[in-house]
Amino acid sequence: MSPRRARSGGLIDRGRAISFTFDGKAYTGHAGDTLASALLANGVTLFGRSFKYHRPRGVYTAGVDEPNALVTVLKDGVREPNIPATLLEIHDGLEADSQNRFPSLDFDLNAVNQLGGPLFSAGFYYKTFMGPVMGPLKGTRFWMFCEHFIRRAAGLGRAGYEKDPARYERMNAFCDVLVIGSGPAGLMAAEAAALAGKRVILAEQEPRLGGTANWSGETIGGVSAADWAEAMAEKLAAMDNVRLLARTTVWGYYDGNNLAALERVADHLATAPRGLPRHRHWSIRAAKVVLATGALERPIVFPGNDRPGVMLAGAAMRYANEFGVLPGERIAVFTNNDSAYRAAAALRKAGAAIVAIIDVRQDISAAARKLAEEAGVAPLTGHAVVGTAGKRLAKISAQRFDAATGRLSGDVRPIEVDCLAVSGGWSPAIHLASQAGGSPVWDEKLSAFLPPEPTQDWLGAGALTGAATTAEALSAGRRAGSAAVGAEAPSSALPEAASPTLDPFPAPVFEIKAKGKAFVDLQHDVTADDIRLAHREGFVSVEHLKRYTTLGMATDQGKTSNVPGLAIMAEARGLPIDRVGATRFRPPFAPVSIGSLAAETHRHLKPDRLTPMHDWHVERGGRMMPAGLWHRPMIYGELGETVEQAYIREAAAVRRSVGICDVSTLGKIAVKGPDAAEFLDRVYTNVFSTLPIGKARYGLMLREDGIVLDDGTTWRLGEHDFLMTTTTANAGKVMQHLEYLLDIVWPELRVHLTSVTDQWAGASVAGPNARKVLEACITGTGLDDAALPFMGIVHGAIDDVPVMICRLSFSGELAYEVYCGAGHGLHVWEALVEAGAPYGIVPYGLEALGTLRIEKGHVTGAEMDGRTTARDLYLDWMLSKKKPFVGSALMDREGLIDRNRIRLVGLISLDGQPLGGGAHIVEKGSLDDLGASIGHVTAFCYSPALQKYIGLALVKGGKARHGTRAFVSDPLRRRFGPVEIVSHHFFDPEGRRMHG
Amino acid sequence: MAERLSPLGAAFRPGMHGGPGAGPGVRLSEVTPPSIMEATAWPGRKGALAEAISAVTGLSLSARPNAGAVSAEASAFSIAPERFLVCGGAELPARLAAAITIETGTVVDLSHGRTALRIAGPRAEWVLSKLFAVDVAPAAFPVAEARATSHHEIFAQIQRTGPDQFDIFVFRSFARAFWTMLCDAAEEVGYEAAG
Repeated sequence: MSPRRARSGGLIDRGRAISFTFDGKAYTGHAGDTLASALLANGVTLFGRSFKYHRPRGVYTAGVDEPNALVTVLKDGVREPNIPATLLEIHDGLEADSQNRFPSLDFDLNAVNQLGGPLFSAGFYYKTFMGPVMGPLKGTRFWMFCEHFIRRAAGLGRAGYEKDPARYERMNAFCDVLVIGSGPAGLMAAEAAALAGKRVILAEQEPRLGGTANWSGETIGGVSAADWAEAMAEKLAAMDNVRLLARTTVWGYYDGNNLAALERVADHLATAPRGLPRHRHWSIRAAKVVLATGALERPIVFPGNDRPGVMLAGAAMRYANEFGVLPGERIAVFTNNDSAYRAAAALRKAGAAIVAIIDVRQDISAAARKLAEEAGVAPLTGHAVVGTAGKRLAKISAQRFDAATGRLSGDVRPIEVDCLAVSGGWSPAIHLASQAGGSPVWDEKLSAFLPPEPTQDWLGAGALTGAATTAEALSAGRRAGSAAVGAEAPSSALPEAASPTLDPFPAPVFEIKAKGKAFVDLQHDVTADDIRLAHREGFVSVEHLKRYTTLGMATDQGKTSNVPGLAIMAEARGLPIDRVGATRFRPPFAPVSIGSLAAETHRHLKPDRLTPMHDWHVERGGRMMPAGLWHRPMIYGELGETVEQAYIREAAAVRRSVGICDVSTLGKIAVKGPDAAEFLDRVYTNVFSTLPIGKARYGLMLREDGIVLDDGTTWRLGEHDFLMTTTTANAGKVMQHLEYLLDIVWPELRVHLTSVTDQWAGASVAGPNARKVLEACITGTGLDDAALPFMGIVHGAIDDVPVMICRLSFSGELAYEVYCGAGHGLHVWEALVEAGAPYGIVPYGLEALGTLRIEKGHVTGAEMDGRTTARDLYLDWMLSKKKPFVGSALMDREGLIDRNRIRLVGLISLDGQPLGGGAHIVEKGSLDDLGASIGHVTAFCYSPALQKYIGLALVKGGKARHGTRAFVSDPLRRRFGPVEIVSHHFFDPEGRRMHG
Repeated sequence: MAERLSPLGAAFRPGMHGGPGAGPGVRLSEVTPPSIMEATAWPGRKGALAEAISAVTGLSLSARPNAGAVSAEASAFSIAPERFLVCGGAELPARLAAAITIETGTVVDLSHGRTALRIAGPRAEWVLSKLFAVDVAPAAFPVAEARATSHHEIFAQIQRTGPDQFDIFVFRSFARAFWTMLCDAAEEVGYEAAG
């Protein structure tokens, strides 16, 4: 038997032993234990070292509010720091390490920080490192010197660098009522709502439903509260309109009753079955929410209150009742309220000796006195604890105390103890209620903040609303559950709860002022003196106080420290607490794994968008590159080829004979309806209503402000039927633009738009032999100039598959775009490749495509970059003067017709070296003198047609500079060299080849 | 004529995968019908459009938002205001185009542009809930009804075609990515990929 495990009692499974390690040492516990309870049972009291002073720390609470006992869990080669031992369920093989100690927990070198005393007081970093350099020991330069050492010493846990192999998932849920918290109030609320037939979700952050029922030691409905809760949970689990979510922390309450929760699905398992996520992020849309989140006990602040062995009274009681663990053998209780007397009685009952109950109050209730009798000790009223001693708590000192004045008097009385159970009253867990909106309300008598009036659809029940007894919680829970679904409360009698009638109101004592460090925020090592120092330095707003001292800003978000901190500030300012103000809570209520937020995109950031010919490209050595979400072949490299060699070979083959390129990614929009032609006239700068059926036309679109939006060809397939193509990158943007215009600007136009990008596979067959290739495989149509002139469209079949062919060219060669149903895309592509074999047809990728278009001076997104006008790109011949169009009203603004704008030109590298995309063009300069930019390179390549490195650029003055020389200045790539500025129509400017 | 090729490629791995072992939680399959048409009415003509679709398909399609209808041969469902997706046999495009005049609305052939993936089985709602913020409970999402939604970048039009069966229509180019994601999401409950 473990030294501190009570002989009986608790809800743990004593028949199941579980082995785990802490700091490499093996221990055993039982199923149902947390790491905290199991270690306590093994007599371990030292759990970690504190943040700033490296003081030894023990376990302070038994739940989500734990500020001290944070550990690092090592699982599957990954380290996860700062996990509260109080929430960590043990499983076989669990490996946990303590934190913030070097070389070991027992002997920590940085504990020397404790001797520094005031050195690390509030604002230490600001005072020491901020501001101008004044001598060697002040200022930001000093910070830069010290930062490395400070960063090494500071912080709590250390994150690892390993990739997290765990799976995370998201779950969307909808319900009529979400009940948060499964204590007596929550269970009753869930039952009432469920009996009304509504869809109910009950979320509980602990593994076991029941909340306080699991450790109150009370009876409900004639049985032990824990048994009652278990029976209720079973009853609810059997109802198919109820979903029970244990191990699920609801951490965010957002607008529209959207709530976020984290379910720890597999953390408690030694190995998770395949497919089971480690964490599941729940996004819950609830018509109504019942908050039954209970209350969190808070400490009294006194010197030495952080020593291992000091813990909250409720926690001590929970360890005894739920886990059958005694946190000490000789226990003292220190309190300002009645609730700690229950802890005293419970601990005594579990086998500990209660050596003292020290109460700051002079008078206590009869019920409390009776509990003290059960604990076997006469309460020391009108006293306070003023100090503690021992590396592990060995002794406390108490002194006479006047609660009204806070004054201490008389002799200091030492008491030998190994555990001190402290209660400073209870703070309703209003976090979610506060997140939902509204300011918390201070209750003078309870010395606590109560939830605000709901501004969203929620109801509160139980200790959250200040209810003091289980009986109140049961009836309020049932009321809330019924009210949430608009039903009558169930007619059955409420279960009876037997609990002593304690005084619910604590004495308003938050701090005992005596000599020594008294901690308010244990996790961030913020002392009561830090708060007073902040006040003396002029921090009066609680928000500023928080930031200056970091009070409440640790991973526990100040669950135990907010109210005492506020009370100390209020006293320093001489104001009542409610005048000092409270910080509102924001999500998350408790730390959330980033993995759960990424959920299913954790391993898959974006979906792959594939063309019908994707697998062919990959099999043929296509090196795929992303184009938005699409994957497109960059080159089809042959053995030993560089990218440049590959694209030169591919592009040259197109000019010499024939090539084939997958253009399925082009955006395609079906534009249909009686007003389709009129619509296109309005959205394109040029006229489309005159386009005959069976012909295509190149079109240009502007934004409202006159800047170029996109270009592409639009094909007239019928009187009311157009097929618009867009660039790959802008397909979505153009669709949105057009839908907006139809919905908002011209709702009277009868036009429908449908994205048909995915309907069609497209192959561009380009080169002098392109027609011959097509003629070898097409049936049902002629392809000569008469049947298929430039920009004409014909329908036919290739290998029995219907195709639509448009004769248009991006490469400047004789070229055809062959479209067919996407499901036939591969078939037609292979037929084309086969038909092209006698001509040495070459598949070409994006690099060759880019090379061919640069040689022709065709623009793409690199030039239509959201800043250029049609004139900048010498596309003003496309701006119709016969009709208005989107952008026509604003395209002639002064700034847009300025002659000094950067405009499209061609560049030829004069030193035989490549140009670089984004490189600047300068009139003079050198490798180290960057020169003044007159523009930049938008695209470049080696041109097999010209046998030179060429590029496109946007340069001030544009055409006016043709024939002049300049330099390319590219400091990033250490490139500086001469270029000639020429026309962007490098190759076949008359377009003879494509008409050939 | 050549068969229409599935976009799933090697991502389609027939057989049982994942799960705790006691039978698959869901069955996943590709069920792209021979014809998929998008039919859109002019404002105020949705009723006429629904009637025309009903006449061609033999379905009884309502013009209510989210409405849909399913039979052994055909299905149709609302995907946007005034807009339906209509599925059927090879003859559907021609018949629908003839039945829907320019005064009623327009039709667009998407038989190659959309891929239908089916998730069926006792855990279909659970798996679907991982991917879509849609209430899939039978009362909120009855059989034959449909929802147009998205999973991040992927548009999805979902019709409930049975008590525990949903057909999800996605853009063909995303079908493989979505299928892979669906399989991944179904691994927890176990799935059978079937043709």
